[in-house]
This record gives sequence, C-alpha cells and structure tokens, in this order.
Amino acid sequence: MNLFQFCYGIIHWLVDLVNHLWYWLGDVLPGALGEFFNDVGDLAASHGNISVFAILLEVIVIVIIALINVLNFIWIDRKFMGRMFDFYGPYYVGYRIGGWLQNLADGIKLFVKEIIVPKKADKLGFLLGPIIFVGSSFLALATIPLGTRFGIETSPTDTGVPGSALIAFAFFAIAPFSILISGWSSNNKYSLIGGMRSAAQMMSYEIPLLLTVASVFLIAGSFSFTGIIDAQENIWFAIPLLLGFVVFLVCLVAEVEVQPFDLPEAEAELVEGWTVEYGGMRFGLFMMTSYLRGYIGGALATALFLGGWNGPHIIPEPIWFLIKAYIVFVIIEWARWSLPRVRVDQILNIGWKRLMPLAVVNLMIAATFKTLGWF
Amino acid sequence: MWINMGPQHPMTHGLWNLRIKVDGETIVDAEPEVGYLHRGIEKLCERRTYTQIIPITDRLCYGSSLTWSHLYCLTVEDLMNIEVPPRAEYIRVAAIEMQRIASHLMWLAAYAADLGMLVGFIYAMRDREIFIDLLQALSGSRLTYNYPRIGGVAHDAPPNFVRDSLRACDYMEGKIAEYEKLYDGSKVFMMRNEGVGVLSKEDAMNLGVTGPPLRASGVKYDLRKDQPYSIYPELDFEAVTHPDGDCYARYRVRMEEMRESCKIIRQAVQKMPQGKWRVLAPRIGPEGTGLGRVEDPRGEGMMYIVGNGTQRPYRVKIRSPIFVTVSAAKHMLLGYKVADVVAIMGGLDMCIGETDR
Amino acid sequence: MDKRGAGAPAGAIERAPTTVGENPEERTFKALLEAFPSTLTDFKKLRKGIVRARIERRDLLECCRYLKDKLGFEHISMISAVEYENRFEIVYHITCYGSCLLLELITQTPKDDPTVESVSSVWAGANWQERESYDLMGIKFNNHPNLERILLPKDFMYHPLRKDFKG
Repeated sequence: MNLFQFCYGIIHWLVDLVNHLWYWLGDVLPGALGEFFNDVGDLAASHGNISVFAILLEVIVIVIIALINVLNFIWIDRKFMGRMFDFYGPYYVGYRIGGWLQNLADGIKLFVKEIIVPKKADKLGFLLGPIIFVGSSFLALATIPLGTRFGIETSPTDTGVPGSALIAFAFFAIAPFSILISGWSSNNKYSLIGGMRSAAQMMSYEIPLLLTVASVFLIAGSFSFTGIIDAQENIWFAIPLLLGFVVFLVCLVAEVEVQPFDLPEAEAELVEGWTVEYGGMRFGLFMMTSYLRGYIGGALATALFLGGWNGPHIIPEPIWFLIKAYIVFVIIEWARWSLPRVRVDQILNIGWKRLMPLAVVNLMIAATFKTLGWF
Repeated sequence: MWINMGPQHPMTHGLWNLRIKVDGETIVDAEPEVGYLHRGIEKLCERRTYTQIIPITDRLCYGSSLTWSHLYCLTVEDLMNIEVPPRAEYIRVAAIEMQRIASHLMWLAAYAADLGMLVGFIYAMRDREIFIDLLQALSGSRLTYNYPRIGGVAHDAPPNFVRDSLRACDYMEGKIAEYEKLYDGSKVFMMRNEGVGVLSKEDAMNLGVTGPPLRASGVKYDLRKDQPYSIYPELDFEAVTHPDGDCYARYRVRMEEMRESCKIIRQAVQKMPQGKWRVLAPRIGPEGTGLGRVEDPRGEGMMYIVGNGTQRPYRVKIRSPIFVTVSAAKHMLLGYKVADVVAIMGGLDMCIGETDR
Repeated sequence: MDKRGAGAPAGAIERAPTTVGENPEERTFKALLEAFPSTLTDFKKLRKGIVRARIERRDLLECCRYLKDKLGFEHISMISAVEYENRFEIVYHITCYGSCLLLELITQTPKDDPTVESVSSVWAGANWQERESYDLMGIKFNNHPNLERILLPKDFMYHPLRKDFKG
C-alpha cells in the first residue's frame, strides 16, 4: 500500500466515524432536535454536497503536510546554522529527538503574546497583509503534487490540476503586493522603506525566474506538473538546462528573502523592516510563511528541474520528492549562512543586468534542444 | 527627509545618534550626535587620589580598557618622574598588545554581523576568548582590568604565562590567515567594502583622524614607531598602511595590525627579564604637568594632567580618538547609500565610552 | 620635512620608515622666533619630540596658520582648557607628521574674558574639540562655525568643569 492509500484510508475511517456518531445523535436526541440532526446528515451526505467535505479534507491534508514540512525546515535551518557556527542548534526541548520540539515551543510562545495594532495604522490593510501573504503561499502549495496519485485532482479522469505550474507561479508572485500593503499600512517610515525595497527586489527577480520556467515549459511541452515530471523520466532537466537551474536557484533565494538577499529584513539597518509593527502570532505567520515559501521553492525546483518523483521504486514517490526538496533547501541554507548581505542597489543590479541575459540565453538553449528534436 | 539612526538601535555599537538627510537612497547630509553616555569623568578625576583614578580610566573605553589605564599611568609617571622597572614594562606591553588583538577581534565580530555575515561574528568572538582568558590570568577580570599601577603593574605574571602566550600567538596567526580567506574570498564582502567611504589623505590629516583610518588613507604614522614610549624602541615590528582610503583598506590595516601584535607579544614575552614589577609611587603629586600619548587600537589617545602639590590631580584632560574621527563622519558619508552607513561607521570601530567620557 | 613616499599600487600594504629628521626642535624654535619675536615666550624642550611654547592670544590664529602652512604641522591633537585662580589657559597640542614633533602651545586669557580665536578654519579637526571646551569649561571661540553644546544637553545652564561648580 502506498502513502496515498494510507492517508485515504485514515480519512475514510474518520469520515465513517463522524457519520456514525452524527446519526447516533440523531436517533438518541428526542423530538425535533433529533430530526434536525438527521436532516442535516442527509443534506451533508447527499451527492452534490459531499464534494464540499472532500474539499475541506483536502485542505486539511495539505495544510498539515505543509506545516509539518515547515517545522522540519525550521529545525534543519537552526541546526545547520548551529553547526556552521560551531555550536549546537536547539538542544533541550525535545532532548532525545535533537531539539525538534523547540519550534512548537516557540509557536506556543508567539500565540500568547499580545497583538498591538498601532493607532494610526490602516486597519484593513494591517489585517489583510498577512492573510494574503499566507493564503497565496498555501494556494501555490496546493497545486504541487507529491506523487502520481498524491495530489489534487479536479476531475476523476484528469491527473492533477491542468496548467498547475502556471497557477503555482501566479500565486507565488502575489507576495510582493501583500508585503507592500503590510509595510504601508503600518504607518511607519522604516517599514514603508522596507516594504518598497522588498517589493522592488521580488518583482525584479520574477522575470528571470519566469523566463527559466518558460524554458522548462518549452522542453516539456506541458504546463502541468505531472506532464513536466513525466517528461523527465529519461533525464532530469537540470542537466541540459544547467544554466537555467543555477539562475532559478539564485532567483529563488531572492524571492524567499534569505541572506544574501535579505536587506528588506536587515536587522542592522531597519530593525526587521516591513514586519516591524506586527506582534505575536501575526509576526509568527510571517516567519512561518517565509519558511513555507522556502519549501515551495524547493518543491518547485525539484518538480521542474530535478525530476520530481522519478527514482527507483524502493522508496515511495512522495518521499523521493521530499528528499530532493530538502536537498535543495540545504544548499540554499549553506549559501545563506556563508555570505554577507548584498546592498539593495547591488541586488537590483544583479537581477536586471546579470540574471536576465542569462535567463534569455537559457531560453535559446531550450529552443535549440527542442528544434533538434532531442526532447 | 532627515532620518534618525539611533539612539536606540540594535547595532550601532553604543549610544549615539546619527542624523542623515536622504534623497531617495543617497545621503546628502549627515550629523552625528554624541553625548548620551557622558559621565563627567574629567570632573570625577579631580575628586580622587591618583591611584583611585585607575579603575575610572578603565571604563573610558570598555572595548580596550588596558590601553587607557596604561595611558593614565604613563602620564602620571611623566608628571612624577618615576622610572618603571623593565619587567613591568615588558608585562605592560605584552598585555597591551593582547588587548589590541582582542579589541580588533571585537571590531571584526561586530563588523561582520552588521554586514550580514553572522559566521564571522561567532568565529571572532570565539577567538577573542583566548586572549581574554590570558588577560584574566594576568589581572583577574575579563573586561575592565584595573591592572597597571603608577610605577609598574599590580601583580606579577602567573607561572605559565610565557608558554600560554606563545601558544595563543601561534593559534592566532593561523586564524588570521583563515579569516582573510573567508573575507577576501567572498565576492559580496568585497562588493560592499571596496570604494565605499573613501577618505583622502589631506582630508584625513586635516580632520584630525588618527589610527587605522588614517593609516588606511596612506599616511605612515604610528605612535609606537614615530614617538615611541615604554619599550617599543627595542621591539621589531612594522607600522601598516594602505593607499586607498576605503572601508576595505581599514579592514586590511586592522588585520595586518593583528599580525604585528602577535609578533610583538612573542618578542615581549620572550625577552622579559626577572626583577621587580612595581615601584611605589609617592602619594603626593608634584606641581607641574604631565603628558602621555599612546597608540590606542582606535587612534591616538592623549592625557594631560596638571598637578598642584596635593594627592589629587588638579585637572585631567583626556583626548579620545573616536571623538574626532566621528566628527569626520560627514565627509565619509556624503554621496553613498543608506545601506553603506553600516559599513562606513562600522569600519571606524566606534566605542562610545571614550567619545563621551 | 615631507617624508611620505609616492603612492603604492592599489592593494599593496606599505610599511612605515623609522627615521626622523635631525633635531627638528631647534629648527621649529628658530622659525617660530623669527616669525613671532614679541609674543612667543618660554620655549622649552620637554623630552625627545615634545616642545612647549607660550604665545599671547592675539597672535594665536596667525601662529597656527604659520605652523600649518609654512612649517607643516598638519594635525591638531588636543585642545585642553585649564582654569587657574587668576586665568584660563588653553593648551594646543599640534603634531607634525613629517618630523614626528609635538608642539604644546599655551595661551592665556584673563578670568573674566575667556574668549579666544577659533582655529577650526586652519584645522577642521579642531571643530568638535573647541565645542567640547565651550561646553564643559565655558571658553568662547570667536568665528567658530557651530559653537553649541556637544556632550551635555543643549539647555544645560552651567559649565561643569569650572571650579565653582560643585556638582
């Protein structure tokens, strides 16, 4: 039995349980209340409405997978940073498993902190900023399948969401707007500057990113992840499109805003930049989304360039996918803790003047390969 | 638009305020404001006897406190005309050079952390611990030592001091080579430092800038060589300069200075004679003036003491190198971007304790 | 007197020479006496490389210009102010990089009129040091570009280093 069947089985069992409980309540409770329960049960279980529950369950599954991966990523980040800096990472919380529970402890701490909204802040923008940021990232995550049978299907015959890679990148690119909204509505000079810098950086790195992805679309001949990954059965796209892979990784680092490109959040100059007025779990949401976007980036790099879930079948496919995504993330972390911060005008310089020509060259290489008929 | 960087700011190395006027990202005017840490040390010194002032001078610049108490003792020895025994001189010089390395390492740690490279911070602090441990063996404390006395040093060197100092010097020279590979090999570090914050030779001399920023602008002047004090004439080392005047030059000068300090420690520790380590100084000071000049890790430190025949000095005047170097900040900042402020002001190695006294 | 060598190629580290000129104290003494015969008094060599002279305050700015332009004293190290019972003394320590000489130049002002010409037009490094003397001791410098308090709050009313300020 593979992982997908396992998850499906558990959810099926849970739904059955809830079903039995509900109807039992309907029988036990007297009179109109019991009838009410029965009617609601019939309504929910009727044919057209079961899809609502299915969608809810899908959402829960995706969120759980994403959050567990994010916890793992944060743990890897802190342990890796610790070993590079010649000390241990998180150590005591969760002593036997290497400090993994530290993140849960930090999350609980953030929950109990007070959320302060500045008096002159724009209330709607202040509230919406994190919501759009987190929401668009989860949406991008939802379209990435983890295996041939482990992903969202929009209809019983199709495999996967049609055009899923395009949708994923579209959602990924909503982030600069939410950052700008958050930075501006905090009513603070520094967060405004941070927000503008961040938006400028992200937008200027979208273009080489999408050009590289366009070259992958060209070679694979399909817009959806399953199509791209199936086209990589013989050879991973990282090998003919090596230039594109490198450009993609650099643009990813700039999009996710880790060092060396994290000037918008630089502590030394702007005291955390555009998130400065957020406190408590709202700030926690921003931090979590930063790692979530790191995970999304790793997953995208794996799906587009590293062959997705193709690999020997001794390990189930989703595990292959996750292993490759983790390896990409570890490479990014390695660069992160070894390099100083790049100044913001130098960042934009690199994006426009160095990466874009390389991305165009990559596109031409892909076109050459396609016309030669090798793919 | 005037922006205030500080006084409450996570990484401005102390309590001061820098007001900059920006036009987009470019700085068009700058005005440093100091005085938030003024403790009235010069007035405090007038109410204490000569020996009671030594712990106060320690706290002038807490980043390199041995140099200031040594400077004070030099000045009072000039006033009272005391000759210090040679063993005390050698111990003093070895301790000062260790303090210089520790101070430069702390500068390196803060500089790397400001530029975003947290690895450099941890590595430099880890190596600084070795020298702080040596100084703790000498004097008993880690930051403000209260070690020099008028006429010598407070205690003799502990038994294994020579062996441990030599080991520390060997270790440090290997580490300096490693740091140079780490920083010079990093393209991003070079991008952030080369050509940034240029200070020309004439400007540096006119504005009163001294120490590593002056030598990084090409002026060959090091007080240990040109106006030697203590036993520096007998030691063999060189003063380091660099022709460009930018942040990279200041970084290079300090790294080379650390190497030279290792050389000096080796010689001082091996040539140390046996003998007394302290001469008792008279309690009542003569009338007259005393002048002391030292090469502090941050520049030229001077003290001018006027005695009036009692056991308390009449006037103590302290010249702090960073006080004058910070006034030159405006010339170094004009025309660069806001993100360069950290690199430029970090390259000056500011310690606010001595600025504000 | 100029001992600085030609510029080395970029990226090189220069090592400083260790020689100084012969007997620069005598030369400075003679040059100063020639230029200011009446107001310069009390010339004394304190130790090797440090000399002291006194000058009257009306010739101070001229003397400083002469020191910088003709004799090559490029760097003002310290400006101190000392209060005695009947006078204020302002002590200038001026360095010459070329001949490694430090000149201690002392000026006097009467107790009720502690004003002196500012030398920040000659050396820009004197700017903040004069502000500090004004702030803590109350010496007023004429023609100073920005004579304001620097270490104490701007509305502080006293000058703490004076002997009649008991804290």
